[in-house]
Amino acid sequence: MADPRVEAYARLLVERCLDVQAGMQVLIRTTPLARPLVDALSRLIARRGAYVVPRIDFTMWPTNAAWAAEAPLELVGELPPIDKHACDAMDARMTIDAPENTAWGAELDSERRALTKKAEHYFFRRTISMQIPWVSCQFPTRSLAQEAGMTLEQYEDLLYGACLLDWEAEGAKMNGYRDRFDAADEVRIVGPDTDLRLSVAGRQGEVDDGRVNMPGGEFFYSPVEDSAEGTILFDVPTHYQGVPVSGVRLTFRAGRVVEASATEGEETLLAVLETDEGARSLGELGIGCNPGITRPARSTLFDEKIAGTVHLALGASYPSTGGTNESAVHWDLVKDLRVGGRIELDGAVVQENGVWTI
Amino acid sequence: MVTEERVDEWARLLIEECVGVQPGWQVLLIGQPLARPLVEACARRVARREAYALVRYRFEQSANAAWLKEAPAELTGTTAPITAHEYEAASAYVAIVAPDNTRDLSDVPGERIASYLSAMRALTEPYLADEKPWVGTYWPTEALAQDAGMTLRQLEAFVLGAVLVDWQALAKDMERIAARFDAADEVRIVGAGTDIRFSLAGRTGLVDALGANLPGGEVFYSPVEDSAEGVIEFGEFPACYQGHQVGGVRLRFESGQVVDASAASDEAFLLAQLDADGGARRLGEFGIGCNPGIQRHIRNTLFDEKIAGTVHLAVGHGFPNLGGTNVSAVHWDMVKDLRRGGRIELDGQVVQEDGRWL
Repeated sequence: MADPRVEAYARLLVERCLDVQAGMQVLIRTTPLARPLVDALSRLIARRGAYVVPRIDFTMWPTNAAWAAEAPLELVGELPPIDKHACDAMDARMTIDAPENTAWGAELDSERRALTKKAEHYFFRRTISMQIPWVSCQFPTRSLAQEAGMTLEQYEDLLYGACLLDWEAEGAKMNGYRDRFDAADEVRIVGPDTDLRLSVAGRQGEVDDGRVNMPGGEFFYSPVEDSAEGTILFDVPTHYQGVPVSGVRLTFRAGRVVEASATEGEETLLAVLETDEGARSLGELGIGCNPGITRPARSTLFDEKIAGTVHLALGASYPSTGGTNESAVHWDLVKDLRVGGRIELDGAVVQENGVWTI
Repeated sequence: MVTEERVDEWARLLIEECVGVQPGWQVLLIGQPLARPLVEACARRVARREAYALVRYRFEQSANAAWLKEAPAELTGTTAPITAHEYEAASAYVAIVAPDNTRDLSDVPGERIASYLSAMRALTEPYLADEKPWVGTYWPTEALAQDAGMTLRQLEAFVLGAVLVDWQALAKDMERIAARFDAADEVRIVGAGTDIRFSLAGRTGLVDALGANLPGGEVFYSPVEDSAEGVIEFGEFPACYQGHQVGGVRLRFESGQVVDASAASDEAFLLAQLDADGGARRLGEFGIGCNPGIQRHIRNTLFDEKIAGTVHLAVGHGFPNLGGTNVSAVHWDMVKDLRRGGRIELDGQVVQEDGRWL
């Protein structure tokens, strides 16, 4: 029998996240494993009188790894005109992460991987600037469950538990915390091996109440670009294009990474930092608030929302929050504050051990 | 056995021989998920030709069933502008059919399928009219094997045997056969329950080798429209069309028109097709199967019409590029086995007996 949560999830994505209107061309990129969700979405989008433009591949469109491994470099670094046209013409887009193997990019060397990122930038530019409705989400697969150290059933419970929430109520709570950060100039993050200060002066936070990310459950800033000072250890494991990376330690001076190391995947970390000029600066400070997510799953989408964590992203910032950093990279790294960490705003503690004190 | 080498050779035939991909081209690779090994082999071959591979998987062969079932009626006869642009701008397309269920459109109302297919037909017209290259092929799946009454292993051997033949040698043989038929006026086919004559006077045939079908392996004509006289009985194989399998079709022609039709099973479907429009009772095609790798009927016209030692007649639409003038929405190929007691005569001279050329 079909999982009734798939239908509820599809409704959330079509109605709340994209609010699909008649005549829209909704581009859905995912893998064949997400078929039950794609079918449910297709029905709902059809009922709204809109088009589905499926972009289904085993690797995430517009990158096909088999092709990108052998094509001339100048082609890999630039989308074909047909795909650019789709990026220009789509009225909404949905990315459903549903890998059969999270190491799908392993056949591409770091140069080719960087070029596919560069080419994909064309696809992201109209969504990162919020010109069209968009949402990134997941469909539970065995690969995602494995990555998170769970069974598929457990992972399904995690995903649907984190997504099928009362988003109006969550939004109201997060708006309250966000107002407190908006009023502050300096954010200090303290914890084991961590003492980092950065400025959000003049910047406005945005609340992710389950629209562009599903699950939502964070509020986030583009920190002042040259303000980060200090060191932070990201103790939540992650990966970059399928390559596992963990134990990332970054030291910032005047907003730029001046020292970087990792206990796993250090070569990848260093390569990412060399991608372009903006890759060494921060594009985001985010505060996780989703009560349905309590443990890391090696998936940025969930991990950055764990209530009691913060995350920083290297690379591109969100212009909508006043950020000016540009880069092909936007890589979120998560810090758990639930065991011996705290957040201070202009010297006042607002969260301790992951629990709000305001 | 479907080895990597054979799949790569198959991809080479598709990309280099059938389509002839050139540097800088944008090549649509349209497949179903089960065809992944061949799709990826094609993507690599396209990459080595310094062209773009645009990989598009879809769940159903010809339409998004979930969308088509629910969309407003006025949308079902249209395609998303992004899709239309894609076919217009592409240099070539490769379609790899690999269903996981050959009945996966069976709950979509026929008029919705028809209206969608006619919209798609408008997009593929420049390819079908030979303005741009395309090729279609079948990847063996359990669903296709089931329809063929075979195990998957048997079907794999069958398909590879039909695809990986010496095409240069076969093309030469077929050109000789075409030259002989080109020079003749009257064709007579005699066999079980069969004695029919029709004219090819002034018509030239086409040799299908490394063209728009893989496997190819036929020589075909549009016979003179008012010339067919006599009876043909398709008693050896069911006549397969649009998911129907009609047994024991018997057609009697006068002055090119079917004047008497009967079938041992599903006769109502046969009669409905013949009454579909003014052109459905005339011949649009006469074809001679020449692929030595295809020996048995698998209820799949792309293969069955190529069985060496068979001929096929299609009621309905003719080929304008072969001088055909008959117009119809129907084009139904029916295959007649001549290998056990049949012969072909050209202007009174026997040229093939019991399926063997003389």
